[in-house]
Amino acid sequence: MRLRSFMQFTAPSVLLMLALLALPLAMTFWLSVRNCTVDLELVSVQQTGPFGSQEVLTQRARLNAKGQVEESCRFVGTDYYRKILGLDASTALTAARSPATAAVTAPPAPPAPTAPTDVKNEFWAALSFTLTYVAVTTPFILGGGLLLALAMNRVTQRLKGAFIAASLLPFIITPVVGALAIKWLFREHGLVPHVLSQFGVEIFWMAQAWSARLLIILYGVWHVLPFAFIVFYAGLQSVSQDTLEAATLDGASAWQKLRYVTLPHLMPLVVFVTLIHVMDAYRVFEPVLVLTQGAFTTSVQYLTYDILMQQNNPFKASAAAVLTVLGIAVLLIPLLRKTWREQRAVH
Amino acid sequence: MKKTAALTQTILYGGLAVWLIAASLPVLWAVVISFRSYVDAFSTPLKWVAPFTAENYASLWIDKAFYKNFLNTVLVTLGTVTVSLSVGCLAGYALARYKGSVGFWLLMVALVFRALPHSTLLPSFFTLFDALGLRNSYFSLIVVLVAINQPFTIWMLRSFFMHIPAELDEAALVDGCSRFQAFRRVIVPVMWPGIVTTGLFSFLLAYNDFLLSSALTNADKMTMPAAIANAISAESETLLMQGVAGAVSITIPLLILVALFQRQIVSGLTQGAVKG
Repeated sequence: MRLRSFMQFTAPSVLLMLALLALPLAMTFWLSVRNCTVDLELVSVQQTGPFGSQEVLTQRARLNAKGQVEESCRFVGTDYYRKILGLDASTALTAARSPATAAVTAPPAPPAPTAPTDVKNEFWAALSFTLTYVAVTTPFILGGGLLLALAMNRVTQRLKGAFIAASLLPFIITPVVGALAIKWLFREHGLVPHVLSQFGVEIFWMAQAWSARLLIILYGVWHVLPFAFIVFYAGLQSVSQDTLEAATLDGASAWQKLRYVTLPHLMPLVVFVTLIHVMDAYRVFEPVLVLTQGAFTTSVQYLTYDILMQQNNPFKASAAAVLTVLGIAVLLIPLLRKTWREQRAVH
Repeated sequence: MKKTAALTQTILYGGLAVWLIAASLPVLWAVVISFRSYVDAFSTPLKWVAPFTAENYASLWIDKAFYKNFLNTVLVTLGTVTVSLSVGCLAGYALARYKGSVGFWLLMVALVFRALPHSTLLPSFFTLFDALGLRNSYFSLIVVLVAINQPFTIWMLRSFFMHIPAELDEAALVDGCSRFQAFRRVIVPVMWPGIVTTGLFSFLLAYNDFLLSSALTNADKMTMPAAIANAISAESETLLMQGVAGAVSITIPLLILVALFQRQIVSGLTQGAVKG
């Protein structure tokens, strides 16, 4: 295929990705060093109460000729970055603008006060849990998936279809629904605390940090294990039977056959699952939202979402987003280099 | 010897049974309590059997008009799958056939975008869509889902196209087809299994999305997962039970999907650059 037709065929896809992935990503950098505030003006308003009417001075958003809220924007450099990283809390940043589309009749939102004493390091807290989540779930998913695949290989043919179908459920389920289902199972008066209390164990799973984090990790393993299992199981089907037979003839034990024949064969798949899982685990969001609502623990993606949706501050959220992107970039460099070399070899 | 074999079998099936219970219990239990009233669903001591009621489903689907969210989901997923596949097939085909280094670069950049956490794009989407007046529209949600889906879609379709021998295109080209005609009339007809599989994963991504739908649309245009979000922190018993019924309602189409397309889902997972 010539370059010209390659360009024509890929144009729609490339344009979509440029417009909705590359451009927004670049814009995030731009937003993260700026801040916009709603222009306020003082007006006197006639208020009629039970004791007659009186004139009250009040603030409201200044509107331009088109009836839209006027904003003043300025360059703030690394202020938001320092804020999120807890380096400097003294910067006099007034908070979020109200959305530009806000109804004209809505009362003006006073600038939300940002407490200057708040020197906690939100980003490190979120990042450290996210990395813990990535590091803890990965070995369980790889190990569990491998065990299941090996077990599955020895199950009678008749049961395999039903078994794979049931195993797929946690993987294809809507993440927010899966996390909710686990929450209902573990919540007060739920099934798991009831069963545990029969053995004298009383835990309020969502009431403290360690158990809430454990639940998030549990959800992560439950959700992704089927993926590793299916990939490894497919890989096992292509292990050379001749090599296995030769190994048996040479007197290799079952363990040696696994260690020296099967595992090396599966190695590329282990790398593949790890790559995909690290990407996805770094984005952990739904279980954090559902199981703790950020009360005991946050993740980097949750942090951006929370700043944007709850604090309504797209500029600070952008700074968090840029830091998030830097994090995944650092995390993925070794894995990307490997894929790079492999694809280079193919091309 | 016989004894150890029996023991192995016991451990094997025992372990598998434990996994099966763990895999299905959260959903099974949600199904069970969705047909109970709140006092029976979360009671002390726990009730294994309780009176049956469809009240939660009635109040969700009728009083809370969940059918609207269902229709939103249908619209958004159909739109996303259609556009994803049309755009993705063109690019996937070109990536499978073109041998130059531009293709390699495109794949690598797509892989990097594949890793991008979605919330990092949200502040820009808000700013962009506000400026264009597209906030809270089906259109913006669909194009965003398509774009986010695109890196994965082109990787997957490319690997399916690679399995189709290039001699087919060459024969068509020799017979006087243009590149596009060769693609449209010769390659696409033999690509259907790959297109169906990729379509399933596009469907899952759009259907399962919570983050983008909840952020980019208001209540009237929300898809089902975003609509049950208020069950997350629900203090009210009615809201909570509606959430349980909603969770089960969202899962049923997925169960049907697994029953019908299990083979395609498995083949997609093992195909390569997978997992939405």
